[in-house]
Amino acid sequence: MRWDIHYRETWLHRTNPSLKLLVMMSIFILVLFLHNPNVLINLSIGLFLLFFIYTGYPLKYLLLFFLPFFVIFVSTASSMTLFGQGTTTWVQWGLVHVTKESFLRGMHLGFRALTFALLGLIFSLTTRPVYLFYSLMQQLKLKPKYAYSFLAGVRLIPIMLEEFQTVQNALKVRGAGHSGTLEKVKRYAVPLLSQSIRRAQRIAVAMEAKRFSNETKRTFYYRIGFSKYDLMFLFSMIGIIMLSYYAATVFPYIPVTDVR
Amino acid sequence: MECIASVEQLRLKFPGKETLLFKDLSLSFKKGEKVLLIGPSGCGKSTLLQVLSGLIPHSVDIPMKAKHIRVPDNWGYVFQDPDSQFCMPFVDEEIAFVLENISVPREQMPERIEGLLRAVNLQVPPHTNIHTLSGGMKQRLALASVLALEPDVLFLDEPTAMIDDEGTEMIWRTVKQIAYDKTVIIVEHKIEHVLDFVDRIILFNDAGEIVADGEASTIFHNYKEVIASQGVWYPRIWDDYKKKKKVRRHSSEQREVICLENFQGYRNKEVKIRVNTARVHEGEWIAVTGKNGAGKSTLLHALMKLIPTDGEYKVYGNRLEQTKQLARRIAFVFQNPEFQFVTNSVWEEMAYSLRLEKRTEQEIASEVERLLKMFHLEEQKKQHPYQLSMGQKRRLSVAASIISGQKVFLLDEPTFGQDAKNTFALLELFESYREKGAAIIMVTHDEQIVKHFATRRWIIENGQLVRDEPVMPETKKALSVQGGSSREMGYSLS
Repeated sequence: MRWDIHYRETWLHRTNPSLKLLVMMSIFILVLFLHNPNVLINLSIGLFLLFFIYTGYPLKYLLLFFLPFFVIFVSTASSMTLFGQGTTTWVQWGLVHVTKESFLRGMHLGFRALTFALLGLIFSLTTRPVYLFYSLMQQLKLKPKYAYSFLAGVRLIPIMLEEFQTVQNALKVRGAGHSGTLEKVKRYAVPLLSQSIRRAQRIAVAMEAKRFSNETKRTFYYRIGFSKYDLMFLFSMIGIIMLSYYAATVFPYIPVTDVR
Repeated sequence: MECIASVEQLRLKFPGKETLLFKDLSLSFKKGEKVLLIGPSGCGKSTLLQVLSGLIPHSVDIPMKAKHIRVPDNWGYVFQDPDSQFCMPFVDEEIAFVLENISVPREQMPERIEGLLRAVNLQVPPHTNIHTLSGGMKQRLALASVLALEPDVLFLDEPTAMIDDEGTEMIWRTVKQIAYDKTVIIVEHKIEHVLDFVDRIILFNDAGEIVADGEASTIFHNYKEVIASQGVWYPRIWDDYKKKKKVRRHSSEQREVICLENFQGYRNKEVKIRVNTARVHEGEWIAVTGKNGAGKSTLLHALMKLIPTDGEYKVYGNRLEQTKQLARRIAFVFQNPEFQFVTNSVWEEMAYSLRLEKRTEQEIASEVERLLKMFHLEEQKKQHPYQLSMGQKRRLSVAASIISGQKVFLLDEPTFGQDAKNTFALLELFESYREKGAAIIMVTHDEQIVKHFATRRWIIENGQLVRDEPVMPETKKALSVQGGSSREMGYSLS
């Protein structure tokens, strides 16, 4: 099973992964404490444009990646809208009770989920795990022990997916289809886990056989530093946030500034 | 000559085992020696390599004691499984990982990486995804990354156990090129590839004791009986086997079992296997051969309808659409037996399919006991399938697959990585079923199995069945002379 999707490398790929991670985490926290729906909507639009234009993936894949998060957007927004509390009732039908307040809150929550999703998507689509961990080791002084363990783990994922399919086929052939959920989980988990544990142990031994150790000073094949792309990234993020606030005060969509 | 690695009075015991694997084992290796360790599965050859390299007890925590142990200063270790010795996704990054470990300056790395890839004849661009390499190429990459350590001693732990013939050939050719001036200690089942390279052979028995230790040229001659009784592969083992083998009886019935016409199997909507026309009859043993990745396993998957197919495919004249229906007629044995186990004991594992058919308990018990006996698993019947040895697991997976009386077997390299004893035991079991009219379709890389057991051969190339030819029976006269006393093969099963 291969996961080669061809993409165009953009300036987002060339920014320093540690910086990207820290900036994205700050925005994440900012969004948590953001209660003005106008700003949030603008921010989502800004991030959406970044995701759509600058991640460098073909449209087909972008839509595919975005789809599950759109579903999350709809489901979070609608559940809050339909069953929320409020004073200005729009529709009441049995359990369903839509008010102006609940609608606004629902929308706000939906957009918040969407922003988180977009941040995550932009980061993961434009960052190779190898560069991320090299950068974490070089800029944030992460211990090599953890960095390389993660990288070795990433390598195991496609192997596990292949094995999952094999177990599925093997069980089909043995006619083990009709069983309870718990039984099913066990039938997949036991062989897959036992394989993975053994494989992980073997990789660990192989790594030590190649003289990987915690003590010695190591050199790095990739030197991850800073460049003009990092400034570009920093300014574009600050720009998006400032524009969101500015537009929210000058051209608000709704006359509400706090949904709480 | 200078001694480069040695152990004196080594004692080692695996946790949970009752007996010592090694009891007062002493061994030493001289600089520049090329040594081959042979012995039955589970005799501790690989463990010994790990002790000699210091991986035990440094990286693998197994209790051991030795009066004196000398680990070489600079060594490299190549492991058996090509998929579990890399930690990085790309070829250059994997070699760079080793160079980083020994603090090679970054500027020198690209050049060193290219040099190492050239040394092992791995002609790919350095930034290639390891996942796209074949098993043989992966093992040569493992060699390259080990060479980056500039070792004096190379430990090779069955580096070709999971590799096809062509890949094996390339690996050993590479080893011979790069290791002529190094000390090389090898564990390997496919000895014919290394015999002209090694100058010393050490033979172990299943108790982990050294039975013989001497020059490569004489050992097989002087200790042939011992080697044969331990069930170890040795040169010309097949000739000896043939002498003892009984005449093959042809199944009298020749009913058509499988009929294929314009049959195609798909993966991701692409045709991955195509068979224009083919028939399988009762009593036939068809060997499916071809290069790694040609589509042999895919053909078996298609026959079991584990992947989408189209075209004409009849089993005993019926079109069966679902895997479930097919499984009643056809037994499928996967490459890794563990994936097929669904219960917690050997006995239950065997009974599983019968239970699904709602047979009576009495019937189940008698059938299970019969097969346990036939497959030599009686003593293990209460154990968990995962606790069995390699050979036992394989036998159990076969027995459990065929217990509901299927008469067509699809086998995906069932003798892979097994020692001589287990291989012959398994092949004879299949042969006994074939004589009773079962049809066998088996993927294999082993030419000897094709020659001695198959009745027909299918060659797969680029996802297509390109040739379907009978395998000529060996000079029948010579066989029938000794054929009278059948079943005197000396392979008892453990």
